[in-house]
Amino acid sequence: MEKKRPAVKGFSNKQYIGFIIFGLCLCLIPVLVKMGVLKTSFLNIIGGSIIYTIAALGLNILLGYAGSSSLGTAGFMGLGAYISAYMSADLGLPWELSLIIATVIPTLIGILVGVLSLKMSGLYLGIATLCVAEIFRKTFSQFTQVTGGFAGKSASFPVLFGTIKLKQTGTFVLLIVFMVLAMMLTYNLVHGQLGRALHAIRSSETAAQAMGVSLRKYRLVAFALASGYGAMAGSLYVHFVRFVYPSTWNLLLSLNILAMIVIGGMRSIYGTFIGAIIVYAVPDLILKRIPVVGSYNGFAYVFSGVLVILVIMFSRGGIAGMISGLVSKRKARPAETAAAAGTDDSSGAGTE
Amino acid sequence: MGTFLQLLLRSLESGSVYGMAAMGIIIVYRTNFMVNFAQGSMGMFGTFIVTAVFIHSGWPLALCILIGVLAGIGVGSLVNFAVIRHTKKISAAGKEIITLGMMMIFLGITPMLFGTDPLRLPKLIPTGSLSFGGADISYNSLFNIIFGFALMIIMFIMLQKSKLGLAIRATASNENTAKLMGIPTKTVTLFAWIVAMILGTFAGVMIAPTTSVTTELMDSVQLAAFIACIFGGFQTFYGPVVASYFVAIGSNLLIYYVSDIWGQQILYIIVILFLFFRPVGIFGKKVTKKV
Repeated sequence: MEKKRPAVKGFSNKQYIGFIIFGLCLCLIPVLVKMGVLKTSFLNIIGGSIIYTIAALGLNILLGYAGSSSLGTAGFMGLGAYISAYMSADLGLPWELSLIIATVIPTLIGILVGVLSLKMSGLYLGIATLCVAEIFRKTFSQFTQVTGGFAGKSASFPVLFGTIKLKQTGTFVLLIVFMVLAMMLTYNLVHGQLGRALHAIRSSETAAQAMGVSLRKYRLVAFALASGYGAMAGSLYVHFVRFVYPSTWNLLLSLNILAMIVIGGMRSIYGTFIGAIIVYAVPDLILKRIPVVGSYNGFAYVFSGVLVILVIMFSRGGIAGMISGLVSKRKARPAETAAAAGTDDSSGAGTE
Repeated sequence: MGTFLQLLLRSLESGSVYGMAAMGIIIVYRTNFMVNFAQGSMGMFGTFIVTAVFIHSGWPLALCILIGVLAGIGVGSLVNFAVIRHTKKISAAGKEIITLGMMMIFLGITPMLFGTDPLRLPKLIPTGSLSFGGADISYNSLFNIIFGFALMIIMFIMLQKSKLGLAIRATASNENTAKLMGIPTKTVTLFAWIVAMILGTFAGVMIAPTTSVTTELMDSVQLAAFIACIFGGFQTFYGPVVASYFVAIGSNLLIYYVSDIWGQQILYIIVILFLFFRPVGIFGKKVTKKV
């Protein structure tokens, strides 16, 4: 991997700048809120979308690249959130340390799940991860000494290096920083050896193994990344929302995160963010304004559910795939190659 | 002894509920080659229909359940025609995600139609209980157990003896061959979804009196049914149903004798470990993969 770095360096630098510019654009939101152009609630909604983007990026590596479905994302997010809240609020550890611990422990558990997953395929893996999520959810509501049970648990905004106390706006910028870092890391990983190995595994596990790709190693890495990203997102969630209930981390949240990557576009980094905005922000910002239907709570789920089904049926690349298809104006190619190529094209399209 | 018998009876009742949900999952899996993660939410939706009709009309519950069955036929057909018909060429993972999308739609549309407040559904047989050997069992529970057994036996006889059952089994073993032999596989698929919807509604109505009717009504039932499918294996019709009763007994024993807080979690861990050591279930056959 080290040897190949220089060849792609120029290109990835350009991508890095793209991610950073994207982050800076998002930083304008608090400014606009201060100026009174946007409502304060806008900050919460976009902040939430950013958090879910981070979790969805992890799942995108696992589902999009490695092809293993996981319904346990919400469980790992919740675990990260509770560990972080417990460490910083109850044990009084600094925010940075609690973030690290809250990311490392779930990652280790994720690796364990990955080990168990090696023998399972397709549907069994979905059910097994469902069981994992359910174990977490039950534990959150019953292990009251740490989690506070149904009453929930509170945390404060992060305090950087023990001195800089952040307010909501500062935390929002911090979220953006973490998302941009996560995007860079994801980009780097999937365009290196890992990405190619995962592509091979997704097409055919047996063929990949025959060519010398270690299934065990890369599956575990994919699981570790998915659970680590999820846990980090959970930890950021608890310090941004400052409150956590066990009922937040249910199957619907896992489904929502899955919907984000399916709608936004599998194997697309900007697509993941677009998906998060569509699934999480659009219902709050736009759908609620629609008369009659919009006032109902469940409408957002129906909206995302219908979108998920339509995307799977008609355009496997999701919205990122559609954009890249429009940009490159190439005529119908097999769906799989279009989706695989979608990453590069769409990331270019997203920055414009 | 009395306690054990009590637990056993309670397990038989929840086993019937799990068995119906498992049958719904397996009949869809075998005929459509897709894992229906929406089974629980479909049953939940059907239960909401029954409950809403019961509350607003004041008719006897049995009649409301009948209306629920008719509505189930409608909803099952709608799912089949609107979604499933168009998924033939989609990969297994894609189909899985489509059922997850359907689950989101059901979970979203339920509060839109029936409101967000939890509803109450009474027992079909409100009063009366039987006691023997130190254990009590209400007539309603007894009815649920017998109804569950009877329905499953009817299903199995139908699958083995009737023409429709033969068509289902043929489709399950090889859809393309079945099509070539002149079996209307589309009708078989439609039937499977209707059956899944109705079985889900029955399971929901049976479990509803023990809790309240919310969108989370079927979450644990669905997971238990999936666990039953894992233990029983996805390759046979009877395996998951038989396993449902064992899952119910196992989980009740774990909760009562081991820990009421951690029992459920221990069960799930056992399931995951089981999957690790025996990835195709007890009755399942190993499918050799080709490159």
